[in-house]
Amino acid sequence: TGGHTTEILRLLNCLSESYSPRHYVLADSDKMSEAKIHSFEQKRTETYSKSQFTLDRIPRSREVRQSWISSVVTTLYSMLYSLPLTYKRKPDLILCNGPGTCVPVCLSAFLLGLLRIKRTIIVYVESICRVETLSLSGKILYYFSDYFIVQWPDLKKKYPKSVYLGRIV
Amino acid sequence: FRFKDSLAEDLQSADLVISHAGAGSCLETLEKGKPLIVVINDKLMDNHQLELAKQLHKDGYVLYCNCSTLVETLQSMDLSALKPFPPGQPEKFASFLDKVLGLQ
Repeated sequence: TGGHTTEILRLLNCLSESYSPRHYVLADSDKMSEAKIHSFEQKRTETYSKSQFTLDRIPRSREVRQSWISSVVTTLYSMLYSLPLTYKRKPDLILCNGPGTCVPVCLSAFLLGLLRIKRTIIVYVESICRVETLSLSGKILYYFSDYFIVQWPDLKKKYPKSVYLGRIV
Repeated sequence: FRFKDSLAEDLQSADLVISHAGAGSCLETLEKGKPLIVVINDKLMDNHQLELAKQLHKDGYVLYCNCSTLVETLQSMDLSALKPFPPGQPEKFASFLDKVLGLQ
């Protein structure tokens, strides 16, 4: 969704072409991100000639302020889509920054890792908006990610296993 | 004026921006080097939006008030006391990732 997409594209912008092909996963209800992604990838071809990327959609895992219990159900439903997708793409790296959509994707990758089907490195970057508290996605993925990056020092203190690099977007 | 694709042009020509506490609005404004007053709506506010606005204010980058104190803030503000907002450093992220993936 909007803010998350803008932040993640800023992060992607600095990555070399080793990070290719890129597979974007969006929530089905997201209307704005696709255009931003195309625009980003288009711009990238100015520097790197070819740009390889795919774009897939899965059901949105949670609405803002949706209750805990129903969120578990909707997230499991999204996993019915994210699991075969992650199995198909078998990514070496997952990079995400907190929209609900990242939870089923990361959990799917984590599961495929446990089942020894594909070991994916999961890197989570908490949004710059999160200064003192983690988002719900962050609270969950703190335990499932390989690297958990925060952008403010208070969070580093509260979540000692996190990585603090300062403000990166 | 309801929904433009981008406010970039308007931002560029503005001398002062008064905005809600959405992260995108705040950061975009600060990155363009425009003075910013963030207005918090206590009733609608999602607490997490408040975190960033508070921190930006604490660090001296923005002024902040609520709907009822906006006029007073406009009358007594000293925009020269606002500090310039340093850009984020995504290159640090790229270096970090290259290193952990063994790409360096």
